[in-house]
Amino acid sequence: MNLRRVLAMARKEVIQIRRDPRSLMVIFAMPIFQLFIFGYGVNLDIKHIPLCVYDRDGTQTSQDLLKQFQATEYFDITQVVESYRDLVRNIDHGTCRVAVVVPPRFTEHLNSDGKASAQALLDASDSNTANIGMGYALGIALAYAARVQVDWQQRQGLPPSVPVVTFQSRTWFNEDLESMANIVPGVVALVMAVVGAFLTSLTIAREWERGTMEQLISTPVSKLEIEIGKLVPYFFIGITDTALCAWAAVRWFDVPFRGSWTVMFGCSVLFLIVVLSLGYLISVVAKSQLAASQAALLTTFLPAFLLSGFIFPIDQMPTVVQWITRVLPARYYVAILRNVFLKGTPVRLMTGDVTALALIAAISITLATRAFQKRLG
Amino acid sequence: MKFLAALTRIRHMLRKEFIQTLRDPRTRFLLIGPPLIQMLVFGYAATLDVKNVTLAVLDLDNTQESRELVGHFSGSRYFHLQKYVERREDLREGIDRGGFLVALEIDSGFARRLRNGQGATVQVLVDCANSNTGLVALGYLNQIGAQFARDYQLDLAQRVAPQIAFSMPRVDLETRPWFNEGLESRWYFVPAVIGNVTMIMVMMLTAFAVVREREIGTLEQIMVTPIRRWEFIVGKTVPFFLIGCFDAGIIALVGTLWFEVPFRGELGVLALGLVVFIFAALGIGLLLSTISSTQQQAMITSMFFIMPMITLSGFATPIPSMPPFFQKLTFINPMRYIMVVLRSVYLKGVGLDILWPQIAALAAFAVVLLGFSVLRFHKSLE
Amino acid sequence: MSANEISVAVENLTKRFGSFVAVNNVSFEAHRGEIFGFLGPNGAGKSTTIRILCGLLTPTSGKARVAGIDVAAEPEAVRQQIGYMSQKFSLYNDLKVIENLRFFAGLYNVPSADLSGRLEWALRMAGLEGRDQSYTRELAVGWKQRLALGCAVLHRPPIVFLDEPTSGVDPISRRQFWELIQEMVAEGITVFVTTHYMDEAEYCNRLVLIDRGRIVAMGTPTELKTRSMRGQILLVDCEPLGPALEALQHAPGVLDAAVFGNSLHAVVADPAAAIPQIKQAMAAQGLRLSRIEPIPPSLEDVFVGLTAGREIKPGGTA
Repeated sequence: MNLRRVLAMARKEVIQIRRDPRSLMVIFAMPIFQLFIFGYGVNLDIKHIPLCVYDRDGTQTSQDLLKQFQATEYFDITQVVESYRDLVRNIDHGTCRVAVVVPPRFTEHLNSDGKASAQALLDASDSNTANIGMGYALGIALAYAARVQVDWQQRQGLPPSVPVVTFQSRTWFNEDLESMANIVPGVVALVMAVVGAFLTSLTIAREWERGTMEQLISTPVSKLEIEIGKLVPYFFIGITDTALCAWAAVRWFDVPFRGSWTVMFGCSVLFLIVVLSLGYLISVVAKSQLAASQAALLTTFLPAFLLSGFIFPIDQMPTVVQWITRVLPARYYVAILRNVFLKGTPVRLMTGDVTALALIAAISITLATRAFQKRLG
Repeated sequence: MKFLAALTRIRHMLRKEFIQTLRDPRTRFLLIGPPLIQMLVFGYAATLDVKNVTLAVLDLDNTQESRELVGHFSGSRYFHLQKYVERREDLREGIDRGGFLVALEIDSGFARRLRNGQGATVQVLVDCANSNTGLVALGYLNQIGAQFARDYQLDLAQRVAPQIAFSMPRVDLETRPWFNEGLESRWYFVPAVIGNVTMIMVMMLTAFAVVREREIGTLEQIMVTPIRRWEFIVGKTVPFFLIGCFDAGIIALVGTLWFEVPFRGELGVLALGLVVFIFAALGIGLLLSTISSTQQQAMITSMFFIMPMITLSGFATPIPSMPPFFQKLTFINPMRYIMVVLRSVYLKGVGLDILWPQIAALAAFAVVLLGFSVLRFHKSLE
Repeated sequence: MSANEISVAVENLTKRFGSFVAVNNVSFEAHRGEIFGFLGPNGAGKSTTIRILCGLLTPTSGKARVAGIDVAAEPEAVRQQIGYMSQKFSLYNDLKVIENLRFFAGLYNVPSADLSGRLEWALRMAGLEGRDQSYTRELAVGWKQRLALGCAVLHRPPIVFLDEPTSGVDPISRRQFWELIQEMVAEGITVFVTTHYMDEAEYCNRLVLIDRGRIVAMGTPTELKTRSMRGQILLVDCEPLGPALEALQHAPGVLDAAVFGNSLHAVVADPAAAIPQIKQAMAAQGLRLSRIEPIPPSLEDVFVGLTAGREIKPGGTA
């Protein structure tokens, strides 16, 4: 292995990267840009759900109940409708996602039978919002029901009943349920996967397409030297990007960091190795840049986005899919990042994830090295 | 006469494009493989369902009441009782390791306090590293807690003072999910994915196709012929329009037949929406091609735009929950409109009378983007 | 090293691509310090042979030794000993001239003490002094080829392989390029060059004529012109050219006829007998014959004669 040749390759690669300002800008701007988009845009804290109310009773009591929905930030009352047809139209148009209907003679029934029920209609085409909205609505209704009961007991001269069971919940790791803290570690992984794999996936394919590969392999440079020379610049770019993202996450987005920086950078290095090797492998196998880019999209971006547990929880996926995620480096990296940022888990509990990541790194780099042949045919 | 000549030139461009695209088995695969794979992966992986939340219980009371409470949890379809633990440290470690999502800690005075009418408190730990799951799990907790309280109170009242129990007021809220009674998140995602995959495919293929010619040098050769700008563009984009329609059709079929998402609207409306959307995607792809000189640039720039377009489209996270600035931003994202169209046609079954604003917006995008690309496309080389 | 040492030795070399035989049982030797030419039309198997010799393709059967090293067995060992210039221009267009040179200097491990000297030499040789900061893509084809040559010999390899180095280059630049080759050869470097320009073949010390994967003739240019030429060449000026060619081809005693510029060349077995016969044939057709005389054959005549001969006798050997 000749260091001089490796340096020559690396220097050429750097010159070419530098000469493409568009790619350069995207490489460094993209992580921050994506962090902003995901951080602010992907908000899994469902609040301000558009609500419309339909009061068919029209009494103090019904107004009281509906006021409960107004007073909370979970719902925004966007429409007060006067007919069922209007209600349907609003839901169809999407101007409201939930509709609360107080049926006629609601108060009457409450006073005579002691039982009354209102209705919450939910636009479940967005099932998640519907699910969460349902939870909110039920919570509001419960609180209201308890108050009604207490009032009644007071009027009867009975001691007010105490709520039977209260749950004192401690939301672990993410006290404010800030989805940003949850998302940001995942974005770091996603961005690195994209930058790392996309850039390297074109590097070999491009030389084949342009014809410079033939000249290159006629020289004494060995395939290992080519690989290392080409990947080292992208490695440094990747690490810089990661550091940039981590810094932005902690300083700007106030994401807590409770673990160890050593673990974080160590695992980032491992993940980078995987992602770069994968990109290189794709570059070698795909003969054209178009094929390489599609392959990179499918094997790095998609898994990192969908299957890593970054937005969609893995344990909710079908079992087969869960098994598939076990071979994905992104899954382990995202878990490690979450641990390091949010949970502050001691290292010994992460050994499984770290080992898996290291193993995948070793395998990818071996495959990538073996795949490239200094031959035309 | 001139128009006839134009048509002939276009016809030949089309023939070349089709030959190039369809002859190579690798490229043929690229037209169908990636979209199908993306569809399947998105369809199976994209889920915000929160079912079978794993639960661990530390019951230090061990009375009938405490077991009754636990019973309410294990009996519900929301929770899955994973294990009983013996010590508090096990609870902590279990959550840290990610062994379970929710932990209940019932202390030893639980039943006593209930019977005294003092009201008992139960400690709950919820793993909110995924805040969505945490939020939903908390909602479930409250519901089950309320159920338990209601049952307990009713039981108690019936034993102690039946008449009072009977007349104590109860207010209920019936919840009716519309369009998706089972709250299947797959029904939410699969129609939306059609939009994602179509945009990615059409945008990238179009951008690449033009830039590739520039990079290899064949663009030069074409430009010295009498071909006009618009003829070249038509020749380049028509194949990808057809491919886009084909791909969209196939993955729509997968959505309906494989994932069994109900289709309640009119096929015509869906087709119209998709066609206009594909035109907009073509416009974006072309625009990208005019600002990229190499395929690498085309790819990186596409990725740069695709990620925010998907994120800020209402695909996974609802637009009303975004900060107001970002909500306004979504208006310039064509994907926002197709999401509405897709979900409305599939699940709500609404028609053109409701969806015309979205379709008009998409049409406007298509016209502006395509027009702008044509203007930008310089016949001379840069 | 003795002057007659063998730089490149090829024995029964065959290369198949599927059912297509690109190189068919080829054997030859190139000596140290000579310009060894590999001549033939497009698709003859020239590039394939060179690529095998550079270790870029593996032979299907047969042996190839370059600088004493078996290329099939140890392709990597060969690389430091050779320089290669590929047919299609394959330097980095987005790099500057000096950057391309430095890059290849690094890959070939040119010692740092030598480096600046070699870079200067390469720039001077290519005529690119003062243009070292230009982007490679801005150079005209002729300069690009010279730059590629420079990159291939920075490390002073004893053997250089040039695959159609002058294709697409104007005649004056071609001449200058060959002067460069001759300078290198004067220093003891073996130059193995492929070309389809027959006039360039005259510059080679020894030649191999190859057609459709087989060697058609081998020797020095003079040997080829005297030994391998079947028959002699007559220069025929006759108007009009088209019908004259037809008439000539069918004339008795004429083995073959072809257009050469504004004249015709006829291959005849016996010039003395053939000249009156041709005159007669032309007159019979009403064609005006202005000149007919024997001329020494060029290599192109040799080649056309050899390959034409093979076509006439399909089963025979060349």
